[in-house]
Amino acid sequence: MKAKKGKLFRRGIHIADKKQYSKMSYIQDAPVPEILSISLAQHIGKPADPIVAVGDLVKQGQLIGQASGFVSANVYSSVSGKVIAIEKRPNPRGQTSDYIVIQNDFEYDALSLEPLTDREPKTIIERIKEAGIVGMGGAGFPTFIKLSPQTPVDTLVINGAECEPYLTCDYRLMIEHTSEVVQGIRLLAKALSVTNIIIGIEANKPDCIELFEQYDDIQVAVLKKAYPMGSEKHLIYCCTGREVPVGKLPADAGCVVQNIATAFAVYEAVEKNKPLYERVLTVSGKCIGNPSNLRVKFGTSFEFLFDYCKLDTTDLTMLICGGPMMGSTLLSSDYYTRKTDSGLLALDSTEVDFKDPSPCIGCGRCASVCPMKLLPMAIDFYTQAGDYEGAKKYGGVLNCIECGSCAYVCPARRSLVQSIGLAKSQLRKK
Amino acid sequence: MNKVIVSDSPHIRGVRTTKGIMLDVCIALLPACIMGCVYFGWKALLVLALSCISCVASEMVYQLCLKKKFKTILAEFDFTSLVTGMLLGMCLHSNVPWYVPIIAGVFAIVVVKMLFGGTGKNIVNPAITGRVFAFISFQAVMISGWAMPTIKAIKPLAGNITSGATPLTQMLGNGVENIGISNLDLFLGTGVMGCIGETCKLALLAGGIYLVVRKVIDWKWPVIYILTTGVMTVLINSIAIKSFAINTFLPSILSGGLFLGAIFMATDYVTSPYTNKGRYVYYPILGVVTALLRHFTKIEVVSFAILLMNLFVPLINTYIRPRIFGEPTLSEKIKAKRQAKQAAKAAKVEGGEAK
Repeated sequence: MKAKKGKLFRRGIHIADKKQYSKMSYIQDAPVPEILSISLAQHIGKPADPIVAVGDLVKQGQLIGQASGFVSANVYSSVSGKVIAIEKRPNPRGQTSDYIVIQNDFEYDALSLEPLTDREPKTIIERIKEAGIVGMGGAGFPTFIKLSPQTPVDTLVINGAECEPYLTCDYRLMIEHTSEVVQGIRLLAKALSVTNIIIGIEANKPDCIELFEQYDDIQVAVLKKAYPMGSEKHLIYCCTGREVPVGKLPADAGCVVQNIATAFAVYEAVEKNKPLYERVLTVSGKCIGNPSNLRVKFGTSFEFLFDYCKLDTTDLTMLICGGPMMGSTLLSSDYYTRKTDSGLLALDSTEVDFKDPSPCIGCGRCASVCPMKLLPMAIDFYTQAGDYEGAKKYGGVLNCIECGSCAYVCPARRSLVQSIGLAKSQLRKK
Repeated sequence: MNKVIVSDSPHIRGVRTTKGIMLDVCIALLPACIMGCVYFGWKALLVLALSCISCVASEMVYQLCLKKKFKTILAEFDFTSLVTGMLLGMCLHSNVPWYVPIIAGVFAIVVVKMLFGGTGKNIVNPAITGRVFAFISFQAVMISGWAMPTIKAIKPLAGNITSGATPLTQMLGNGVENIGISNLDLFLGTGVMGCIGETCKLALLAGGIYLVVRKVIDWKWPVIYILTTGVMTVLINSIAIKSFAINTFLPSILSGGLFLGAIFMATDYVTSPYTNKGRYVYYPILGVVTALLRHFTKIEVVSFAILLMNLFVPLINTYIRPRIFGEPTLSEKIKAKRQAKQAAKAAKVEGGEAK
């Protein structure tokens, strides 16, 4: 179907996309280390319960963590080998959770899920739940919950914006695995019983737009290159013209948003009977000698990946897990890949511009770029004074999507996102 | 592995800094300062230098009193006090005694800015308050003794020079017919008496365009302020003389400190509303207040008007905020209210019938 032009959302910022480092490198299989540590909390919600014990022999694709509770997801072993420990470790955000440490025997003795007999919505959703698929754009919300919305839904929006600088893993998936991604999208649409499928792609990926135009059941929306185009609410607005009401879910606007990587994982789970134990991830930044897009098994340590991509430590200033706008900095490279990690960045001092915050001068730049039209300076002001109710009333802090546009443009370098996070957590406590 | 920085997101930042923005404002003020020195000679330079030194020095001394190290003071210096000093010097005339810029500068920085908490915390514009303070304290020297442009070559292109009063006071007091000078002269500042930085509108405009190009200010706000002042003046005069007084439009916006105030003082970040919605309310009101005050007081009141309106900025900031993405629009809200009312009415009627 011929591509249509997406609507524009007001505000947002324009950043150099810096995708040139890893844009042209093919997806390659990353080598697998000898020891993998697989987290049981790779998603939002309750961590999975371990169902293996130390000393057990596991196969690749064997269930090792059982979902506990409704908002949770299964965890599978990504290699075959022996469980040598189950221990608590911190994740990049600082929260600790259980990790299952597996000694790789390099046999790759694989176990796959039972083949599906039909492609009914219920069976697909059941399979997605079984395979442990979560939103792979970064939030990690279990996908099967999103596929059973409470309100009627008529549109499936696929997020091909990839608005974070540096990251190219979704781009490479769209280019190299177009038909697989499309099949995954069709399965998602079937699970939702909708026929209206829109895929939003930013205008800086003309090759992807061309590839997806050949499919008659998928409408391509060409989006302006702006940050944060990949935000659920803004993607829905730009693709369909609908606004998600304040405090409501996308389903209330009749839409469900899914990520490219998620669609690919759905295809693999349904058609290839493969549970989710690996994903494509971008390793990039000026300190990386060999920027690449790697298919990585969950539990691979970041240090191993950095070594493989030839990390140059002479001018290393910052290590980031995720994108540079919303990802988290790493204290060391002693962390392990999870379902939600879409990128690993090693930036040098020319890319990172770290300055101490100075007083707010009230220029209003933050409010003029906020895609949610909030008042970040007011949130910061009230939060610094400890008045979280004021931050909610005058700044609208609870509607913040934490995209970081405000802090990006702030000439006084205020830590606005930190203030917002603080106000949100304090308000939630009450 | 060597040391890495750990910080909150976002990890990449834009290029603008407070220091850079304030430096841009200083650069934008330069043309008007230079023209002031050309027109009014070395005395003007002295006044500008004194006020700048007074402002910057009093800020540093104040911080030294707070037991800050001189090194950190230098590192944290963000040019805001230099901007204040330049603006303050520009809105004094060149014949003021040497102590006026010094005292006004100390007052502007210490009382108006530092006592309220320094950069970004002042509730009114320091330069304007410094000028108003000097105006009230040294009234005799502030409203008389205006200097004529000293260089003989710079004569008005048309009309006579009336000594003893600026074109604006002339116009406000004796009517627009007695202004005695052409609009072009007012625009260029040739042969116009007035404060150092306010007579050459061309130089101010050049500075303003620089600020707009550098995206420090938005062109809309000075334009809205200047236009509402002009239109309001025409309206007031039309009512007063009971005929259409369009001839007051250009003289009213080209004389006095309106350009200086509109481009550099009213657009001060700290003391103007921080949302565009608030600014659409603030600047028109500012224009109306300026025109009204000018008409009734018969003196130049741009600084008083801005000072007055500065005090309303927190109010505007608190109550005028943009519609959050996904919130119902005003018309939708009204519609919902009406529907709820009708539903309540219908329920009431039904209830009554049931009884």
